[in-house]
Amino acid sequence: MIEIRNVSKSYAGKKALTGINLTLPQGEIVGLFGENGAGKTTLIKCILGLLPYSGEITLSGEPITRKNIERLSFATSEHSFFPNLTPQVHREFYKEHFPNFIDKRFKGLMDFFELPMRKPLRAFSTGQKNQFEVILSLCQGADYILMDEPFAGNDVFNREDFYKVLLGILEPNETVLLSTHLIEEVSGFIGRAVLIRQGRIVGDSSTMELEESGRNLMDYVKQTYHYRGDRVGNALNEIRGEEGQI
Amino acid sequence: MKKQKLDLTRWAPPGLNLKPEIKFFAAGLVLAVLYSFLFFERYLSARADLYIYSYSSSTRVLLPDAVMPDFYILLEHYWAGLAVLAVCMLALIIYHYVYHRQDSKSIYLMRRLPSRWELHRRCLTLPLIAILICLLTAIILLLLFYGTYNVFTPKECLMPH
Repeated sequence: MIEIRNVSKSYAGKKALTGINLTLPQGEIVGLFGENGAGKTTLIKCILGLLPYSGEITLSGEPITRKNIERLSFATSEHSFFPNLTPQVHREFYKEHFPNFIDKRFKGLMDFFELPMRKPLRAFSTGQKNQFEVILSLCQGADYILMDEPFAGNDVFNREDFYKVLLGILEPNETVLLSTHLIEEVSGFIGRAVLIRQGRIVGDSSTMELEESGRNLMDYVKQTYHYRGDRVGNALNEIRGEEGQI
Repeated sequence: MKKQKLDLTRWAPPGLNLKPEIKFFAAGLVLAVLYSFLFFERYLSARADLYIYSYSSSTRVLLPDAVMPDFYILLEHYWAGLAVLAVCMLALIIYHYVYHRQDSKSIYLMRRLPSRWELHRRCLTLPLIAILICLLTAIILLLLFYGTYNVFTPKECLMPH
């Protein structure tokens, strides 16, 4: 279980995260939602120890250090692979550094997405790069797979394939924390939604609870964010009205 | 030969093309050594000043009370080229770290490897070895120049220390 207790983070005096408290038990697929700059990426980077923070983040009760970091993997739209290397060399690199690397899964996913094994990643399309980034995170052998906008740049069919593959291959002990804007797309795939706004957790609900209350994920997000559906219409009317006056 | 090359890449940032770095270092080392060889020009010139040419006998005659300039004066900054090369290697260390943020953020992967030293090992090792080579070359050249100075300078012209 990952436990995040009272985590705060500031960039040059500006608060990016404020008193975050969150628990991620094993075996869940959790969606992390929020507008740009809400603090999703910062939170994930804090969990991974890539950013300093105040507060406490533990993994099975232990602080996250080099001793247990291999239990976390990371897929990011910024890409964390080596562009000059081929997937085959990445495979060897991961095998060397992550003893639990799941080679069979790697081979299977590479074949499924028809990614070339011996072509440098810099020659891949953006979609292929994203696929490979996610494949690496799924095959590292980690218990917690943290994904930060991993499908930015992939087409809808490709993303759909990935969600299905994810649901199919994840073991019961594997947890996914998926930060994304694609709320509707992932609604049928996640088991829990965590909403973050201006560096604070403003919503945390399982999809089952939402179903029971008769709401869907999009309604929940809009409600939590106090989304005003009439805002656009009003703005357009104002603009049109002004144009008319001119 | 191929195996040796592969081994070298294990000590460099993954995917980095080492060829340009090796070429740069080799060329820099050659130029630095050539620059240091200016010692011989200074030495030969100083040594020639110890003699006077006798036209009558067509021989060189050692000047009475001629004294060879001190070894350290002749040395001058023989090490300057090597020092510049070593500074370039320090800059290379910075480049190796920056490399992990170019085109992708492989720094994220390197920083979450179970091996704490993997990133530093790959960024530091080769430039530090290059700096060590510069240092060793400087010492070898110093010994070579000192040997030359002592062996080829007439004993009576050596400065008493």
